[in-house]
Amino acid sequence: MIPFATSIKFMIGGYSAIFLMLAVYLVTLVLRWRRMKRDMQMLENIKNDPGEANKYQ
Amino acid sequence: MSSQPKALTFLTILSAVLFLGALWMVFLFAPLEAVMNYVQKIFYFHIANAWVGMLGFLAAAVAGILYLVKKDLKWDLVELAAVEISVVFFSITIVSGSIWARPTWGTWWTWDPRLTTAAILEMIYLAYLLLRQGIEDPERRARFSAVYTLIGSLSVPLTFFSIILWQTIHPEIIGGGNSGSVGSFGMTTPMLLTMFYCLFTFSFVFVTLFWYRIRLGRLSEQVEILKLKVME
Amino acid sequence: MEVQTAVNRTQSNAYLKAVLAIVWKDLAAELRSRELLAAMLVFALLVILIFNFAIELQPTLRSTITPGVLWATFSFAGTLGLNRSMAIEKDRGCLDGLLLAPVDRSAIYFGKLFSNLVFMLIVEVIVLPVYAVLYNTNLFNPGLLLVILLGSIGYVAVGTLLSSMAVQARTRDVLLPIMLFPVILPVLLAAVKASGGFLQQAPMNTIWPWLNILIVYDVVFSAIAFMVFDFVVEE
Repeated sequence: MIPFATSIKFMIGGYSAIFLMLAVYLVTLVLRWRRMKRDMQMLENIKNDPGEANKYQ
Repeated sequence: MSSQPKALTFLTILSAVLFLGALWMVFLFAPLEAVMNYVQKIFYFHIANAWVGMLGFLAAAVAGILYLVKKDLKWDLVELAAVEISVVFFSITIVSGSIWARPTWGTWWTWDPRLTTAAILEMIYLAYLLLRQGIEDPERRARFSAVYTLIGSLSVPLTFFSIILWQTIHPEIIGGGNSGSVGSFGMTTPMLLTMFYCLFTFSFVFVTLFWYRIRLGRLSEQVEILKLKVME
Repeated sequence: MEVQTAVNRTQSNAYLKAVLAIVWKDLAAELRSRELLAAMLVFALLVILIFNFAIELQPTLRSTITPGVLWATFSFAGTLGLNRSMAIEKDRGCLDGLLLAPVDRSAIYFGKLFSNLVFMLIVEVIVLPVYAVLYNTNLFNPGLLLVILLGSIGYVAVGTLLSSMAVQARTRDVLLPIMLFPVILPVLLAAVKASGGFLQQAPMNTIWPWLNILIVYDVVFSAIAFMVFDFVVEE
């Protein structure tokens, strides 16, 4: 029987790792989405008003 | 890009609720295992993550073949999304498996067929991503990715089988003497229930994330197209 | 009816001629310059040298280590050969010329496969006696030679396909080993186990499963590569 302290320690470690990695992935998805949206907005602005392009140089 | 379809919002909420349910089942419902005590509970999410990895793997293989047959770039997008999800979830599988192995078999790594094949699959995915990075033309990139996915998805089951064969002839593996026993502990009914519930939950998690990732891919594609238009 | 079979025969003749033409072109070019073989051979011998210092090849351990060292050497040298073989094709513009020829694209695949296989086998045939002499092991074993043939076929079947892709990417040289090695593992594993079995004169029933894996791999992946090669050389 694995001693209680060790067992709990590794279980917490394991689940922390799982949640951490899941969370990191979700965060990258959200951040990438937001960046795409921003780029989209910027490109739309340039398309509608070509002069605006100078603003982003 | 259209706003989030209702079905996706519903799916997200459903996944979150099921996920909370899974946590309850693992920590409050499932009984303690006789030998491994608390650390055995990692198994439920470890298996569920591996399951998602597998679903991603299969989705990528199917998407690859569909691209080669139909030449529609949307399948390339689906394939990439599937590979990405599979990479992430197999990584979590390997890490959680490793943490579980340490107190149980005294070693961080066992060369057991499942863990080893997962690691090899990660290498194939890495090669896939590097291949994509090295090709600019979207159509050629899609073709090559699909071909490599095909080769990869055929070789992985064969590799898995070869390692099993290798192990039956050489049972003494570095480290955990009884590494054939990965995942083999007597499972009582509540444990089985918890395991299946987790697999069920993570299936929904997979579909939800897959959908989100595909949407991200589509948005990215639209940005690229717009970029080209504006450059003119 | 007779016209149809005549047409079929001319088509298969043309196909075979194309394959042989490619093989002959590669062999003739190599005979003249010998750059590919020289590079592969020197590299293989260097790898064996490195292994000598990296692993204690005591006489008692040799029979267990030999298959592994041999196949690691062949794998690395093989990558070199595959890379160069395709790079030469692309750089000299031969590939474009071949693509214009009115013959099924897969003929290019088989042509390259055979020439790559010949080069790999030549290197292996030279490395074996050198290894045998350096480490005083008898490697003249028909079973071992069979395994080397089967393993090389599998290696080159997938390697030719993947090198055709890798050579068209920016990161050309590094990409091939990264793509090839994870996918070639069944061949490596089976070849090492089968080689070891033959060298240690193990009973055939322990070796058969490994030979089966090699044969299955060779057949399946040659077929798949053949079917899919078109997608890889499209313009």
